Amino acid sequence: MKKQLAVTIPVRDLARSQAFFTALGFSFNPQFSSEQGSGMNISDDIFVMLVSEPFFGTLTKKPMADPRTSTIALLCLFCDSREEVDALAARALSLGATLPEDPEDHGFMYQHGFEDLDGHMWALTYVADMPERAPAPLDAATA
Amino acid sequence: MTQQIYVNLPVKDLERSKAFFGALGYSFNPQFSNQDGACMVVSDSIYVMLLTEPFFQGFTKKPIADASKTTEVLLCLSCDSRAAVDAMADKARAAGGSWPNPPKDHGFMYQHGFEDLDGHMWELVYMEGMPAQQPDTADAAI
Repeated sequence: MKKQLAVTIPVRDLARSQAFFTALGFSFNPQFSSEQGSGMNISDDIFVMLVSEPFFGTLTKKPMADPRTSTIALLCLFCDSREEVDALAARALSLGATLPEDPEDHGFMYQHGFEDLDGHMWALTYVADMPERAPAPLDAATA
Repeated sequence: MTQQIYVNLPVKDLERSKAFFGALGYSFNPQFSNQDGACMVVSDSIYVMLLTEPFFQGFTKKPIADASKTTEVLLCLSCDSRAAVDAMADKARAAGGSWPNPPKDHGFMYQHGFEDLDGHMWELVYMEGMPAQQPDTADAAI
């Protein structure tokens, strides 16, 4: 069986977040969606569960960190071209996201990213040719 | 969009975290690993980058939330059987992780989970057959 990953993140307004990610081009799986959460498809083995903050609170005994004021994870997605990176970042901005950093061009790799409506950080990366060796800084594979 | 994801997590002690996840059975891609981070291979499309806190901080202007005290994200991994769920949870505890909750048996789904050395929360799920109808709560998939 192919390994699957579901990343669960809390959102303040589920309908608004679902509209945001739908506008970015993501689809949702109705089988994994309810009034408490929506299952967003990244691929057939990768999902992001957007869940309401109250429901997220039932999944952990620890208080929720506020993604607007702190960071605990970065989610990095790969794009097929520089243009797709730029288009997605621009669309996210137009939908109310913020772009905390300028795009970075490392030659073999181009990346940009956005903070979604709740402050969760998403990196968008296009790798032209995978380098033979890891570059000196590690960020080849990361945000 | 290509169908890969890299989840980047900050860790306090990279070597210790590598040993922990190594003990769970994960391998690391040396091409994307150095003294600042290690690339853990979940599958050919799913990777977790364990990054030292100073390096992770370079990617965000916001302070790093302390995963031992707060939660901002849950990572849920699929397992091939109930036994595989239990075995990985056992390995995690033996390697220094903790179990915040007992295993849950929902009939069609069995789940357990652990907190890693830094407090990041990992769920382990085995789904026997997809339910015909969605259950009352969204936790079927998480």
